[in-house]
Amino acid sequence: MIEVTSLESQPHIRVGTVTPGMRTKWFPFWLLLPSIVVLLALQVGPTLYSFYLSTTRMRQGVVTDVGLENYGRILNMPSFREALRLTLIYAGSYVILTVLLGLLIALLLNRRFKFTGIYLVLIFFPWVISDVVAGTMWRWLWQPTYGLIQNWVTANLPAFGEHIYTTAGGAMFIVVMAAVWRGLAFTTLVCLGALQTVPIETLESAALDGAGRFRRFFRVILPQIRPTLMVMVLLASIQAINSVGLIFSITNGGPGGATKTAAFFLLETGWRNGDFGRGAAASVILFFINLALTLVYLRLMGRERK
Amino acid sequence: MHFVNSKLTKRFDLISTHVILGGFALFALFPIVYTLMTSFKNETEVLTRPPTFFPSTLVTEGYEVVFNSEMVRYYIPNSIFNSMVSSVVVVVLASLAGYTFTRYKFRGSRALELAILGLMMIPGLTNLIPLYRIASELRALNSNIFIVAVYTAGGLPFAIWIIRSFFETIPIELEEAALIDGCTPIQALRMVIMPLAAPGLLAGFLLMFVDTWNEFLAALVLLSGNARTVTVGMYDFQSSFEIAYHVWTAACILIMLPVIVLFIGLRKQFFEAMLAGALKG
Repeated sequence: MIEVTSLESQPHIRVGTVTPGMRTKWFPFWLLLPSIVVLLALQVGPTLYSFYLSTTRMRQGVVTDVGLENYGRILNMPSFREALRLTLIYAGSYVILTVLLGLLIALLLNRRFKFTGIYLVLIFFPWVISDVVAGTMWRWLWQPTYGLIQNWVTANLPAFGEHIYTTAGGAMFIVVMAAVWRGLAFTTLVCLGALQTVPIETLESAALDGAGRFRRFFRVILPQIRPTLMVMVLLASIQAINSVGLIFSITNGGPGGATKTAAFFLLETGWRNGDFGRGAAASVILFFINLALTLVYLRLMGRERK
Repeated sequence: MHFVNSKLTKRFDLISTHVILGGFALFALFPIVYTLMTSFKNETEVLTRPPTFFPSTLVTEGYEVVFNSEMVRYYIPNSIFNSMVSSVVVVVLASLAGYTFTRYKFRGSRALELAILGLMMIPGLTNLIPLYRIASELRALNSNIFIVAVYTAGGLPFAIWIIRSFFETIPIELEEAALIDGCTPIQALRMVIMPLAAPGLLAGFLLMFVDTWNEFLAALVLLSGNARTVTVGMYDFQSSFEIAYHVWTAACILIMLPVIVLFIGLRKQFFEAMLAGALKG
C-alpha cells in the first residue's frame, strides 16, 4: 500500500490519500467510532461485568460481595468436574473426527476430478442449518421407538442395544455425531484452501524423485499445511467447548447428566437456576480456558515462523 | 494434483474418489431428506414400527399445525427482522472500519485492529449471563432491538476481518483519481470503492444473516413470549408438541428453507468469503 506522509506536521498521522478532507486528524476516528462503541458496550463491557458478577451473590434482590467463594464452590462441585470431563470428551472427539475426515475429503476434492465440486456444496448444507434444527433431526433419527436409525441398528446390529439414545455413552455418541455432521464442512473448506497453496511443482519434483503417495503426503504436503491445521484445531476446539445448542435440542443434558458439558452447566446454573454469581464464575473459568487455548496457539505460530 | 502411474491407477482413483465423496454427501443429505419425508406424513404414520422412509400419501397436516402456531405468526417475522437489521448494520459498520484500517495508519491502528480481531476469541457463551443481567436491569428483556445490538457486536469482528480483506484488493489509485476528478472523500467511498467492494459486502451480509438466523443461545436467554425467534420456537415445539414428529420436522423444513435457498443462490460469494476469512489466519 502506498503511504504518503502528510505535508502538514502531524507527527503520527500518515494518510494514504492526499486530499484536504481526508487529511483531518479525526476522520479515521469518526469512521471507527460506531464499531468501537458497539464493541465496548456489548463485548468488552459484559466480559468485564462477568468478572465482577462472579465475585457476588444475590439473595432476594440483595447483592453481597463474596470474593472468590463462587469459584471455590464451583471447583469443588462434583457436577462441575464431571462437566469439564464431558467437555473434554465431547470437544476431543469432535476435533479429532472433523479434522481427520475434513482432511480426507479435502485431499479427495483436491484431486480435481470432474464433477467433484458438487460434493463440496452438498457437504455444506448441514453447516448452514441451525444447531437446534439439526439436533431435532438427529434426535428423530435416533428416537428409541420410532427412530429410523435406531430401528435399523436394532434389526442389524443388535449388540449395540435397542435404546442407544437413553444410555450415557450412546447419548454422547449421538451428540458428537450430530456435531461432526454440522462441523465437517468447515474443516473440509479450510483444509482445501490450505492444500491449494502447496505448489504443484514441489509435488511433481517429489514424485520424480520417486516419492510415493504417502511419502509425498507426510514429507511435502503435511509440513506445508501444518500452520493452517493448527489454526483449525484451535478454532474447532473453541467451537466445541462453547457450543451447546445441539446438546439442548438432542438430549437436554441427559440422560442423567451424561451430556452436561461445562457450557451446559454454565447456562443451567446462571440462567435456568438464576444463580448469577456461580454462572458468571463458570463463564470466567470458560473464558480463561478459551484464552489459554488462544495463547498456546499464538505461541506455536510464533515458533513456526522462526 | 495426482501423479498417474498407469491407466488402471487413474481409473481406481477416479472411482474411489467418487465413492468416498458420494458417501460423505449422502451422510450430509440423509437427515435433511428424511426430515422432508417425515414432514409430509400424518400422525399415525410417524408413529409406526418399523418406520418407513417415504410417506405413503403426501399430507400437509404437520405444516398446517405449524402455520397456525406462533411459529409463523411471530417467530418467523421476528427472525426476519433480527437477521435483516443486524446484518445490514454489521455490514455498514464493518465496511467503515475495514475501509479505515486499509487506508489509514495512525499510532495504535495496528494494535486497535488486533484488539478487535482478538474479540473473536471471546465466545458469545461467556457473555450471556452478564448480558442477561444487563438486559433485565435496562428492562430490555424480550426486546428485539437489544438482541439486534447483541448480534451486531457479536458479528462485527468477523465481518471486519472478511470485509477488510476485500478492501485490501482495491488499489488506492482509483480513489485518488476520483478525488482529482473532484469527488469528495465520501463520494469517492460511495461511488468508487463501494461498487468494487460489493461482492465482499454481499458475502459479509450472507455470513451474518445465516449466523443470526441460526443463533440460539442469546435468543433463548434474552427473549421469551412472542419475542422469540425461530430457533427458540423450535426448542419450545419439542415440549408443547410432545412427540408429534411430523409437526417438528415441518417446522425444521420451514426454518432451514430460507438459509438453504440463500446459500444455493450465493454459494460463490459464500465460498470466496469463507476462504478469505479462513485462510488469512
